Amino acid sequence: MSFKVAVIGDVDTATGFALAGASYVHVHIKKEETFAKLGELLAREDFGLVLITHRIAEELGAEFGWMLRTKKLLPVVLRIPDKTGYMPKVDELYELIKRTVGAKIVVRAEDG
Amino acid sequence: MSVDRVLKFELSKLNVHLPMRRISLKEAMMSARPQVAARDGSTHIFKREELDLLAKIVPEAEWEMLRLPILIALDPKLGRGAARINGEAEVRAINQILEKESAGEELLIYRPEVAVIRRKLPTTTQYLFVPG
Amino acid sequence: MASLAAALAVVTPTRMELLKLKQRVNLAQRGHDLLREKMDALIIEFFEILRRIGAARAGALKQLSLAYRALSTCSAIMGTIETLQASKEARRELEVEISTRHVMGIVVPTLEVEKVERSALDRGYSLHTTSSVLDEASREFEKALGLLIKLAELEESGRAIAKELERTKRRVNALEYILIPRLRAALKFISMRLDEMERENFTRLKRIKAMLEAET
Repeated sequence: MSFKVAVIGDVDTATGFALAGASYVHVHIKKEETFAKLGELLAREDFGLVLITHRIAEELGAEFGWMLRTKKLLPVVLRIPDKTGYMPKVDELYELIKRTVGAKIVVRAEDG
Repeated sequence: MSVDRVLKFELSKLNVHLPMRRISLKEAMMSARPQVAARDGSTHIFKREELDLLAKIVPEAEWEMLRLPILIALDPKLGRGAARINGEAEVRAINQILEKESAGEELLIYRPEVAVIRRKLPTTTQYLFVPG
Repeated sequence: MASLAAALAVVTPTRMELLKLKQRVNLAQRGHDLLREKMDALIIEFFEILRRIGAARAGALKQLSLAYRALSTCSAIMGTIETLQASKEARRELEVEISTRHVMGIVVPTLEVEKVERSALDRGYSLHTTSSVLDEASREFEKALGLLIKLAELEESGRAIAKELERTKRRVNALEYILIPRLRAALKFISMRLDEMERENFTRLKRIKAMLEAET
């Protein structure tokens, strides 16, 4: 099935992905506004992917995490760096690995 | 006991991803959309690049013999970390990929080799859990 | 699970109960071994997808930073307002094909785009009023978007596998450290009681026999 792409970012991120063909872009200015937009996107059935910058995701805080955990299968949400390349100190993926398998095992990945 | 019920449920789910019927490499190569129907109703699609890899290493005379997906049998009786491949054509194909000499209708492989196989053939191999 | 003591108080130590318990221990042990195989297989899949995520991330992030740079060049040369205007004129109808795949009982999404890169003509902004730097920036973002779509698929799959792995691990541990030891303890207890009862019975029979023989 076909789905649309949405982007939540600063002006440059929004402009860039609009030029690339993303159906909907939201420029983040106020937290409440962005939360509302995100909630709307997560509830819709026609969007399959939402890109959001790390910086904004971090600003949205714990409630953002809650929204991710409780959302339905689609749209998929992917966090991306903005033009400053900002990435949070805590890498969610690394944390996931640690939680799932235990940090010790990461080093011996090829072992039995 | 509800624990037993949970257990039986988990075990019944183990092989639900497997196809009702496997198709031969020949069939897959000739099909525009090579795929099989799984027991849970879903469709499992074979990636073209994996089929091409298999076509390269398996002599054409054997394409009809080799059934897809190749099943990696996990049987607790084999011990942890061991898996089994059955079928002459399948065994030969797996040995080719692992760059091992071989013969026979059955092959035992070990965890690191399973990892290699799954990396090279993610859609044309599947795990089969063998209940005791 | 009801407390073991209460359960034992109710179960009469009979051969029948012993047999049923043995069957339950066997089922639990077999179940444990199979689920452990599943856990091991999931770990292989998990590490493989992590490897692919690492590679996909590196590629996507590199391309994205190229795209941002191209956009900033574009704004500098063409002007920020003009660039913004062009982005509003661009055709924004990209479609992602999403379906689901099943891997060992886990549902993972697949995300595909047929064609994300377009020609300057197809993009929709006027070619007269824009410059080639805009085309550059657009193309770099299109490439980035393609890579990010692939990355999104891999990250979602990774999460789904991690979740199933955690679930399976919990089941294996519950069986190995709680259920099976309890069942084996109950088995031992009942077995011992049965032996005890048999010995008592045997002793009683011997005494009766001795009494009967004394009377004759």
